[in-house]
Amino acid sequence: MEMIRDGEVRAFDVIFDRHSGAAFSLAYRMCGRRAMAEDVVQEAFVSLWRSGARYDRGRGSVRSWVLSAVHNRAIDAFRRETVKSGRDVRDDNLAEWLAADDRTDREVERRDEARQVRTALEGLPGEQRQVIELAYFGGFTHTQIAEMLSLPAGTVKGRMRLALSKLRMTLADGIGLVS
Amino acid sequence: MSSTHDCGSDAAAYALGALEPAEAEQFRAHMDTCVVCRDEVMAFQQVADALPMAAPQQPVPRGLRRRVLGQIHEEARAASRAAPSRRRVLMPRPALAGGLAAALAVATAGVIALASGGSGTAARVIAASVGHAELRLADGHAELVVNKLPQPASGHIYEVWLQRGGAEPSPTKALFSVTSTGSGDVDVPGNLHGVSEVLVTEEPGGGSPFPTTPPVIVAHLS
Repeated sequence: MEMIRDGEVRAFDVIFDRHSGAAFSLAYRMCGRRAMAEDVVQEAFVSLWRSGARYDRGRGSVRSWVLSAVHNRAIDAFRRETVKSGRDVRDDNLAEWLAADDRTDREVERRDEARQVRTALEGLPGEQRQVIELAYFGGFTHTQIAEMLSLPAGTVKGRMRLALSKLRMTLADGIGLVS
Repeated sequence: MSSTHDCGSDAAAYALGALEPAEAEQFRAHMDTCVVCRDEVMAFQQVADALPMAAPQQPVPRGLRRRVLGQIHEEARAASRAAPSRRRVLMPRPALAGGLAAALAVATAGVIALASGGSGTAARVIAASVGHAELRLADGHAELVVNKLPQPASGHIYEVWLQRGGAEPSPTKALFSVTSTGSGDVDVPGNLHGVSEVLVTEEPGGGSPFPTTPPVIVAHLS
């Protein structure tokens, strides 16, 4: 990231190549539509480029920073839409989307970490997992979730707190992603 | 925040991006004064940052790389054509939070070093290639006065940010434009306690929750 802070385009190409897979995966998981996911990823990386001086090592990994930008852009895209639809629509050319069989050590490690995060989520009580899914991957606010589930807003927030607290304990013991 | 404010619950919702925009802005202001919430958010944010791993991994669609990097390369070329000399100017800088030095090189923002804020303290004028500005501090009040600043693009506005040490720049409600001659002034809201830099960037109309362009004005508070 030192090079990106000096505006080196070549360094940015490397950043994109390293993190675009995770970025698109998150965007597609949230948007459910390929075209929208691509737009979200493009907006996120362009904003990263334009504010390339703002990465602060003290705030976490480059990947976390990129994915945070993708998450924020996806939520912005949802809120621009008048109707949220099509999240579960299957895209065409599905065969093209089969994940590449990448056996690099880092990719093996990432798949293991991914499995642990999914396991941790599956270990949550259903009502807690539901609010995490709706909030983080669905991009809904606590107010919207409360309305969808006919719950008081305080209950939704409380479940979010319990869920994140439990995930924190699980992930700290497991993959050590949290301290 | 009210006396019944539940720090933990709001922190979790904030980390998930699940607060309403106005609530999020209010909570960010609250965090300036609540170490409990800051600590909670930091802890919960680590968990939220791990959640993307749960998303099924997909290969990047063909064409996306070409479109994204094509846009980046074009913007880099345009920036280079617009001000080639800027890239070779590295402003002398004290220790800055991550990467602001590069923002200075790109934006050629002038830097002012102010005496400590307080009654009657004079401000030095910023020398910037895209305009002139000074931050006037008096009795805990701050006013930013700019001259010869280019008018923002259609649909855009200038936004003031406050940076505290290594933290991300905090957005303010101080949005302003300039006259046809590049003049303008805006009150810098909030107290400047702990603020190390006052920044100005060009943002989409209505402002942005985070900077999307390099700063055009940087003021260091010593």
